[in-house]
Amino acid sequence: MSGYSILVDTSKCTACRGCQIACKEWNQLAGTATKNTGSYENPKDLSSDTYKIVRFAEGQGANGKAFWHFFTEQCRHCLSPGCMAEVEEDEIVVDEKTGAVVYTPKTKDLDFKATLEGCPYDIPRQDAKTKVLTKCTFCNDRVGNGMLPACVKACPTGAMTFGKRDEIVAAAKKREAELKKDFPKAVALTPDDVRVIYVLKDDPKTYWKYAAGR
Amino acid sequence: MTNHWIDLKNSDCILIMGSNAAANHPISMKWVTKAKENGGKVISVDPRFTQTSAIADFYTALRSGTDIAFLGGMIKYILDNKKYHEDYVVNYTNASFIVGDKYDFSDGLFSGYDPKKRAYDKSLWSFKVDSKGIPEKDAKLANPRSVLQLLKKHYSRYTPEKVSEITGTPVEDLKTAYEMYASTGTKDRAGTIMYAMGWTQHTVGVQNIRAMSIIQLLLGNIGLPGGGVNALRGESNVQGSTDQAILFHIWPGYLKASVASLPTLDEYNKKFTPKVADPLAANWWQNYPKYSVSLLKSFFGDTATKENGFGYSWLPKLDDGQNCSWLNLFDSMYDGKIKGFFAWGQNPACSGANSNKVRKALGKLEWLVNVNIFDNETGSFWKGPGEDPKAIKTEVFMLPCAASVEKEGSIINSGRWNQWRYKACDPPGDAKPDGDIMIELMHEIKELYKKEGGKFPTPILNLKWDYVNDKGEFDAHKMAKELNGYFLADVEVQGQKFKKGDLVPSFAFLQADGTTSSANWLYCNSYTGKGNMMARRNKPDPTGLGLFSEWAWCWPVNRRVLYNRASVDLDGNPWNPKRPLIKWDGKAWVGDVPDGGWPPMSDKEKTKYPFIMKPEGFGYLFGPGLNDGPFPEHYEPLECPVPENAMSKQFINPTVKIFGGEMDKHFTCDPRYPIVGTTYRVTEHWQTGIMTRWQPWLIEAQPQVFVEMSEELAKLRGITNGEMVKVSSARGEVQCVAMVTTRFRPFKLGKLTVHQVGVPWCFGWVTPKEGGESANLLTPTVGDPNTMIPESKAFMVNVEKLKGGA
Amino acid sequence: MNVTRREFLAISGAVGAGLALSSLGIDLGPAKAYADEVRIDKVKSAKQSTTICPYCGVGCGIICYTDTKAGNIINTEGDPDHPINEGSLCAKGSALYQISSNNPDRLKKVLYRAPGSDKWEEKSWDWALAEIAKRVKKTRDQYFIEKNGKGQEVNRVEAIAHIGSAALDNEECWPVQAMMRALGLVYVEHQARI
Repeated sequence: MSGYSILVDTSKCTACRGCQIACKEWNQLAGTATKNTGSYENPKDLSSDTYKIVRFAEGQGANGKAFWHFFTEQCRHCLSPGCMAEVEEDEIVVDEKTGAVVYTPKTKDLDFKATLEGCPYDIPRQDAKTKVLTKCTFCNDRVGNGMLPACVKACPTGAMTFGKRDEIVAAAKKREAELKKDFPKAVALTPDDVRVIYVLKDDPKTYWKYAAGR
Repeated sequence: MTNHWIDLKNSDCILIMGSNAAANHPISMKWVTKAKENGGKVISVDPRFTQTSAIADFYTALRSGTDIAFLGGMIKYILDNKKYHEDYVVNYTNASFIVGDKYDFSDGLFSGYDPKKRAYDKSLWSFKVDSKGIPEKDAKLANPRSVLQLLKKHYSRYTPEKVSEITGTPVEDLKTAYEMYASTGTKDRAGTIMYAMGWTQHTVGVQNIRAMSIIQLLLGNIGLPGGGVNALRGESNVQGSTDQAILFHIWPGYLKASVASLPTLDEYNKKFTPKVADPLAANWWQNYPKYSVSLLKSFFGDTATKENGFGYSWLPKLDDGQNCSWLNLFDSMYDGKIKGFFAWGQNPACSGANSNKVRKALGKLEWLVNVNIFDNETGSFWKGPGEDPKAIKTEVFMLPCAASVEKEGSIINSGRWNQWRYKACDPPGDAKPDGDIMIELMHEIKELYKKEGGKFPTPILNLKWDYVNDKGEFDAHKMAKELNGYFLADVEVQGQKFKKGDLVPSFAFLQADGTTSSANWLYCNSYTGKGNMMARRNKPDPTGLGLFSEWAWCWPVNRRVLYNRASVDLDGNPWNPKRPLIKWDGKAWVGDVPDGGWPPMSDKEKTKYPFIMKPEGFGYLFGPGLNDGPFPEHYEPLECPVPENAMSKQFINPTVKIFGGEMDKHFTCDPRYPIVGTTYRVTEHWQTGIMTRWQPWLIEAQPQVFVEMSEELAKLRGITNGEMVKVSSARGEVQCVAMVTTRFRPFKLGKLTVHQVGVPWCFGWVTPKEGGESANLLTPTVGDPNTMIPESKAFMVNVEKLKGGA
Repeated sequence: MNVTRREFLAISGAVGAGLALSSLGIDLGPAKAYADEVRIDKVKSAKQSTTICPYCGVGCGIICYTDTKAGNIINTEGDPDHPINEGSLCAKGSALYQISSNNPDRLKKVLYRAPGSDKWEEKSWDWALAEIAKRVKKTRDQYFIEKNGKGQEVNRVEAIAHIGSAALDNEECWPVQAMMRALGLVYVEHQARI
């Protein structure tokens, strides 16, 4: 299979949020006014100013000990993107070389609600002023120029890695098997359907409500 | 750090305690992760389940302020189960030394205590010496007065049950942690500690670290790759600013500040140059006069001569015992004794413990100079909450300076790597580099004294102040060369000829006769005839251990792991041949720059003991130098939740200074403040937040001060997650967003249940508008008796709903 | 300073310059338009210089990309050649861009607040440094302590204090303590104490 993929090994994530800010830096997105609502997580939602959010989820495991799960949420760059159902021309295009699902300025003409409903992961958002739809670009401009996606580059622990799609899919499946030894519920999320593949130690619902899709 | 960041990957077991490295030193986790991938284990011990705990193999909690109990229990476990590295302990530590008859310990007090002075006579804790003055030893470690036997006796009291009653850590968890960590006591395994302010900000701060040092020496972990005692420093150049001695008690390079009873340079040098009888002790500090004279030559240039004691008497002298550290400084300012104040790149209105007192103190100044890149709570204190500008007479000068990317120079990281930074752009508006500000200001002052005369102008006029280029701008290269040092005459040293003006190749060439300068002997070797060593970017890694010896430069003399001669056996072979940090090849050492080039210990004629900075040459299990005892002992924090110390009748550290002013209130076991409080930082903010709160991306991610508390406490107080609450102490209050979390749990101390909360100190009223205030409004004015670092990690608070809601 | 680039690590067969679809005339820049000029091209033609992160003590390498015409920093990201961070950065390091002159809230003027005043006044450097020098001299001369209670020579000043800073370069730390000590100050402290 061609193109590239990103592996998100959440078992190595420390929620340093380097990826979240690196995304803002590269894409020159504004910092928005936020409030603390009893969690480290902020901003609260994806928007035309935020393509990526580290989700913080905590609770108590069966052993009575606390857990704190970190899930760096972004577009999965699906192989068959549900958000493209309404596309007529080139509002949304797939870069054949990289595999990136890229929203062009023409997305302003798309039905936002329908596009959003087409996405199992609740990713697309609309710029209130321009009506253009926005989301993670796979840093297609960087990737096309031999650079790593900004978020992958920023990641210190190897929680995010980037590579050829077949290698990343294999790595995801291998990591799932490794983690299963200690964490029976460990799972690689639909590696054959998406380019951004998450590996989790536990039930996806304990990470983020849309981790495994709606 | 004795070791360095990349070296964490070489560890078999990493204890992260007194640190939340994942939040505060995020990139360290790259190397912690590598250690895990290599099969290493990570233990996280923290009152709260943190981002660090989230990736740990084992996590357990302890109540803030009880680390010595936890670690004392580990010392007992290691000794009882003989988990220590015996060859290392016998040959490289003072375990075999016989302690003098006057040393004693009883019910929480060591011998020699004077309750009036709140101080010990430390001379009672000395070692027994033979007729030549060499410490007596028992290599079998059986003598009841040997260090090892005294250690055993001291920690026999730290049973798991007793420790658990103090710390609140379940006995089972203690055993698991002890077993995991003590597994590194074999010669083929290395364990390390990552600690930060969670250990230093206590009235037993230094002894927390001493306790861990004892464990590391027992397990044979100091000097080894993947081992050591690693303080994670919180600021990009706090290592350098400490090395350069922006501290009252030292001069650059950790030389002692001069005192009134030492009127001449000769007396000063004599006092601080140790004499040691044992010929195998390297006694590094015998070189003291070479370093002090070279420093004075850098201070005063040609005007420093042998005849005038190289200008020794031009520098200010403290009274003997006078302590001018931070807490005393602000106490004196509060009392109106300090009239003028420079807050240079600092924000004490939020960073100082008991910040309300600091803010009041600022209002008693005649003038304040605040140098910063952003507006801050210190420079703008006169318009802060509750202040009446009309009533504040302090003149304030706010000077805009350059950010790090707007000037050139070096900073030294926690692993002692000194790295060169380049200028990427100009500072905005009228802002200018700090170097230029200080050069120009001192130039003005010099001119004033030249013109008008004044009190004791000699040091001002004679201060060497030529660190500028031909345009008159500050020249970081010139200063960096001065830090390294020059030959000031044509000389021959150790068979090598040097010309006046040559850069000194390393501190082994420094002289005590005025023929060399060096503004900091530790930095000698950083900028030599070979060029700017700090700017190097070469990456060979022949050992595979990640030393990167040709990347930048580290002190001392580019040695990447301190005490590395303890990483080998008596024949000079690495304890673990798979991790060869250094190795004796029969003629010389191969690998890292060794702690001295002498042959290994089996050459009993020519060797030197490996702990070269200690006068006797051995690692200190028994440490007679500290103010509060040769062995760490558990004492309760100044403010604590328990009515007595379960370990002894001595409630708090008997040697702490108690501040008694109207703003220094503190309460123990007071029903108004029943909850343990602690402070910390978050990833997105740095220190008081002045370099992060103004950044839209960072303040978006972490916008407001919060208080983390357990679900149990929230239920008791009727608090729901996300609502505004008031956290108060005897000294102040902070309104916070409640963060109710399962990551904090109540502690069971015997029959007592104790709650703990935590508040970050990175917020302040200047920006953002609804960000809230610094947790330092709550913290007490009390410090460690050795360092005077405040006890910001363990104090007592109350948490309650805001009346009428918010 | 030679910055060798190894951005794409071992991934061979990289897409190379340009995008397959761009030849079809489709704009594949991110949907949120940020400039008339494509960011990637600006960054590629910028002057690169290395720096070390100004925040914690890890000492990560960062590359600053400076616009050669305007002189401002247009991008910052981790230095992939740096052995400690290998290109990675945390939230703070990733936000370095916003500490430079790009941040509109940076202090740009010398400010003075007179006794009892409720506002700042903008001043020149010449004025401010001369005024500060005068105050230093006045306070120092008034409160200079030649001898202590025991009659020992001490030559110190306790009425002026200095703190800071761990955010300074080594080459600034040394002269700032030298200057303060030459003035006779003994209250010379900084963050390492807290």
